Amino acid sequence: MKYSLEHEKYLNNIRKKKIWIIISQWGVLIVLLLSWELMALTGVIDAFIFSSPSRIISTLFTLWTDSNLLLHVGVTLYETVAGFLIATAVGTLVAIGLWWCENLRRIFEPYLVILNSLPKVALGPIIIIWAGAGTKAIITMAVLICIIITTINMLNGFVEVDKDKILLMKTLGANKLQVLTKLILPANVGTLLATLKINVGLSWVGSIMGEYLVSKAGLGYLIVYGGQIFKLDLVMASTVVLCLLAGLMYYLVALLEKKLNKK
Amino acid sequence: MKKVLTLNDVCLTYHTLQGETDALSHLNLEVEEGEFVGIVGPSGCGKTTILSLIAGILSPSSGSILLEGGDTNSLKCGYMLQKDHLLDWRTIYKNILLGLEIQGRISNDSLDYVADLLNKYGLKEFRNSYPHQLSGGMRQRVALIRTLALKPSILLLDEPFSALDYVTRLSVCDDVHRIIKQEKKTAILVTHDISEAISLCDRVVVLSHRPATVKYIHHILIEGEPLVRRKSPDFAITFDKIWKELDIKL
Ligand SMILES: Nc1ncnc2c1ncn2[C@@H]1O[C@H](COP(=O)(O)OP(=O)(O)O)[C@@H](O)[C@H]1O
Ligand SMILES: [Mg+2]
Repeated sequence: MKYSLEHEKYLNNIRKKKIWIIISQWGVLIVLLLSWELMALTGVIDAFIFSSPSRIISTLFTLWTDSNLLLHVGVTLYETVAGFLIATAVGTLVAIGLWWCENLRRIFEPYLVILNSLPKVALGPIIIIWAGAGTKAIITMAVLICIIITTINMLNGFVEVDKDKILLMKTLGANKLQVLTKLILPANVGTLLATLKINVGLSWVGSIMGEYLVSKAGLGYLIVYGGQIFKLDLVMASTVVLCLLAGLMYYLVALLEKKLNKK
Repeated sequence: MKKVLTLNDVCLTYHTLQGETDALSHLNLEVEEGEFVGIVGPSGCGKTTILSLIAGILSPSSGSILLEGGDTNSLKCGYMLQKDHLLDWRTIYKNILLGLEIQGRISNDSLDYVADLLNKYGLKEFRNSYPHQLSGGMRQRVALIRTLALKPSILLLDEPFSALDYVTRLSVCDDVHRIIKQEKKTAILVTHDISEAISLCDRVVVLSHRPATVKYIHHILIEGEPLVRRKSPDFAITFDKIWKELDIKL
């Protein structure tokens, strides 16, 4: 395809802007890291309390060689992903049930609202006693944090489907199951993706909170442990790994979204 | 001519927490096979209610409705709504098959019939497109074909053009008229647009204000396509008559 000179210019401008933004994004990170390192080197900030990029990197190396970084990553990742998947699946199933039966929906609406505003972390001690002090308790915490909002979001999406579209399905002779599978569910793929994005963040909150309360391994465990023995390098290094993993998980969901939207 | 539909002294009252609304009062209407009947009336007089009754979505408070000599049943009716309500995630072809799929009527015969319709009405090249790729007028045509695919004994059109802009509307009007006449379908069109009713229908039923009852029935003697009819001198005369009968006050 051949464009006019003016259009080429317009496209070029947009391309330039895009490149400039990407360079700036990396620039911000690099400037931040460099000034952090410099301030630590020159003693403007106390590297013992504030740590520094180089100390974080060397801590990561020792973590890798001495104390099995992969194990900690694996434990936390397992808890988070399990919590994420269970909460999304069960939350969506509950939403389908509540959509199916309007009376049920009306009965449980106030409970959902209360559960949603309750800070789930407050249930920590109860969860530990009921589920035992271990991985189960942590996954339960992650599930609890995600599940209510999943149900509320999905249910909202379900009830917001155009009433006229439901009428159309009925005039075509659809029963309730067909309305669900041919209209309500496919119409809410977008809602599900938005919910997944929220749940990526929330499931990390759940697993890390859980690890703060009870854990023998995991990134949350490293952070708490590092805080207790005043090794801020360890805290920072674990936080960096956490950032990378959370970012990666979000990226995967975004990728899934792109794939579904293309269809 | 064979009678397809009879409404006999039909009344309907809606009950809500705010109170009761009499929507229809002693309404009588007969529709013959192959006829194109228009129902005009002021907004909120009960036009949609009539179609819901015929489709069996509502049951009358009193009176009776006979469709092809039997009970009303949504499966005998092809209902076309204001908006096309095509499903964004299905291709045009899949959208058209929706009704057949729901009723478990996908068979070689029905697929042949659909293929025939697609061919005749220029939708073949769009069969793998998605609804957002089509113009508003084209989408409405797809909605009509989706309805026709079920071979309904009567078509119910509820202000099917009102979501379109005026110019598109004129050509979609022509399009729908042509298709319905070519397929020899019986149809009832509900609208508040007088000129639409005159240009499409063989007979125009004028309703009173709510609760609706039949006020007057016009036999439209102007022949031809909607756009041709609009040029006839009789068109303006009939328009004027119906306009007065509607008795719209601000
Ligand atoms: N489901 C309903 N419940 C209560 N009142 C209704 C309902 N549907 C329609 N109505 C009322 O009945 C009257 C006729 O409605 P409708 O048949 O939709 O009118 P039209 O299609 O002619 O604009 C209106 O006054 C409307 O408010
Ligand atoms: Mg209406």
